[in-house]
Amino acid sequence: MAVITVDQLSKRYDSTVAPAVKEVSFTVADREFMVLLGPSGCGKSTVLRMIAGLEPITAGTVSIDGKVMNQVPAKARDIAMVFQSYALYPHMKVYDNLAFGLRRRGIAVGEIDRRVRAAAAKLGLTEFLQRKPHALSGGQRQRVALGRAIVRDPKVFLFDEPLSNLDAALRVTTRNELIKQQREIGTTSIYVTHDQVEAMTMGDRICIMNLGEMVQIGRPLEVYRNPADTFVARFLGNPPMNLLQGRFAIDDGRAVARFAGRGVELTKRATASLTGYIGRKVIVGIRPEDLYETPHAGASMARLPARVAVVEPLGAETLLVLALEGSGEELIARIGRDTALRSGDRFEVALDTSAIHLFDPDTTKAIV
Amino acid sequence: MVAGMRFGFEQIRRLPLALFVLLYTVVTGGPFLWVATMSLRTTSEIFKDPYGYPSPAHWEKFADAWTKSNYHTYFWNSVVVVVIAVALVTVIGAMAAHCLARYRFRGNRLMRFLILSGLVLPPQLLILALFQILLDVNLYNTLTGLVVVYVATHIAMTVYILEGFFMQIPQDLFDAARMDGYSDFEIFWRVTMPVGAPAIFTTVTLNFIILWNEFLFAVVLLTDDDKRTLPLGIMHFMGSHQLDVGMVATGLMIAILPVILIYGFFSETMIKGMTAGAVR
Repeated sequence: MAVITVDQLSKRYDSTVAPAVKEVSFTVADREFMVLLGPSGCGKSTVLRMIAGLEPITAGTVSIDGKVMNQVPAKARDIAMVFQSYALYPHMKVYDNLAFGLRRRGIAVGEIDRRVRAAAAKLGLTEFLQRKPHALSGGQRQRVALGRAIVRDPKVFLFDEPLSNLDAALRVTTRNELIKQQREIGTTSIYVTHDQVEAMTMGDRICIMNLGEMVQIGRPLEVYRNPADTFVARFLGNPPMNLLQGRFAIDDGRAVARFAGRGVELTKRATASLTGYIGRKVIVGIRPEDLYETPHAGASMARLPARVAVVEPLGAETLLVLALEGSGEELIARIGRDTALRSGDRFEVALDTSAIHLFDPDTTKAIV
Repeated sequence: MVAGMRFGFEQIRRLPLALFVLLYTVVTGGPFLWVATMSLRTTSEIFKDPYGYPSPAHWEKFADAWTKSNYHTYFWNSVVVVVIAVALVTVIGAMAAHCLARYRFRGNRLMRFLILSGLVLPPQLLILALFQILLDVNLYNTLTGLVVVYVATHIAMTVYILEGFFMQIPQDLFDAARMDGYSDFEIFWRVTMPVGAPAIFTTVTLNFIILWNEFLFAVVLLTDDDKRTLPLGIMHFMGSHQLDVGMVATGLMIAILPVILIYGFFSETMIKGMTAGAVR
């Protein structure tokens, strides 16, 4: 049982520069897996370290189960953390690495042995218990680091980019393993990463941070489908969302976005919330997967004349870098793998109008 | 054929280096070997033929030096002073280095500057002041006083070596130990010290060698014959047996032996410790 509440959390290292973390607030429910996602230097690790008690808090509070933890030292918070570098004690065998935290807590030797062996069995480390970390592979070390957290049976798990030192293939298997373990144990977890795939696949919810501030929080697909601003729109999704300059208008009572020399009628949009933008500039957001080589039956489609600049066949799909005829802006489309389009071809790219996003060019926030 | 030519060229290219190494070995190893042969010969034999081979070898000279000329006292004095001083300087130096490398505190840089400035002060500069201070606190002419002086004068180098090494220990290790529930002091003993073992061995070896051979402080701060350390003992030896070169050589060999043993044990870890951090 553990509910973590972070309220108006701020961190300032030096009074002369901007704060590293600015008034971040969120609550992680019991047994929830929360992912803090953001680019390098956005303050996500600092938030994690403040929750862990490794970093003094400048302002705001961190509470666990309603109890404010600001003044509670790290060792008394009953939190286990997995570090990016694994932080295994190089002079100790795997067994001692796992037992180190338990020994400090005055747990009986027999009980320590039982727990260490149970954790090792769970993670497939039994045969490596007598090895030192330098004699293990990257994936094994990662599992020892995870085991060190599991063996303590803490209230909260914190993960600080634990997979970023693994190669791509191992990262996928370890990711699945980690999700499985967390679901089984059910411990409340906060996971920091800059990898959007990890965030999308692992998190019950994701909290996106940028420049020390929290930008958006929500279920992964929710956030992906309804990005709160252009930063989230570009940060989530690979390739990122295309952003085009446009203007909003009402034509015969229909909401229309004018961009790339065309007027595209917007569907599924409450016209009422858009009235403030009539005649004003907007940013039009289109995900690469909402662009098609040929129009789809059943969906409302618009067509934009474009020239193929680059074709990138990825095997499972093909990416097209397009130059729009109307505005010269660049657009990336993700289309089927068996396209016959070649660089230099001209065609009309089809666009699902129900998937168009609009953003305010001044605030960069989404216009709902 | 090309390969053969290249091999020949490579050998010629390396010739100057080989010559230099040979010369260096002769210059440094030669005198040592010479003293070693003299330690097994009597003074009269040495005077007859200074560079002669020790035949017959007078091993009994080692026993004589040990028993007849108070050598065992000097030896044990050296052991006591050096072992205690090295242990203290290692522990205190490691603690200071750990703090300087790990914690950001007010005055951190000033503290580092003050400690490390000890590196540039020549011992001759300190000797008068130390003499007076030890007199004032009744530690003059005591082994305790010499230990205190040795610790004080070797802290700087110890901190210098250890701090550089400790700084490279990843911060995550300390954070992990904190999350595991350990206090700062426990982390020092259970993480910094074992992980920093190569650097610790380096300072232990260096300090041991330097202090074992230390002469200046010992000669000024000790007066009683039964408190003398080995380097003083050898000098004393020269005084009472003006021309007994053979016995001086035997005494020197006894004095050098522990240093060689220590170096033999720790040389590899020591070199590792000294070069760690050279390549990041």
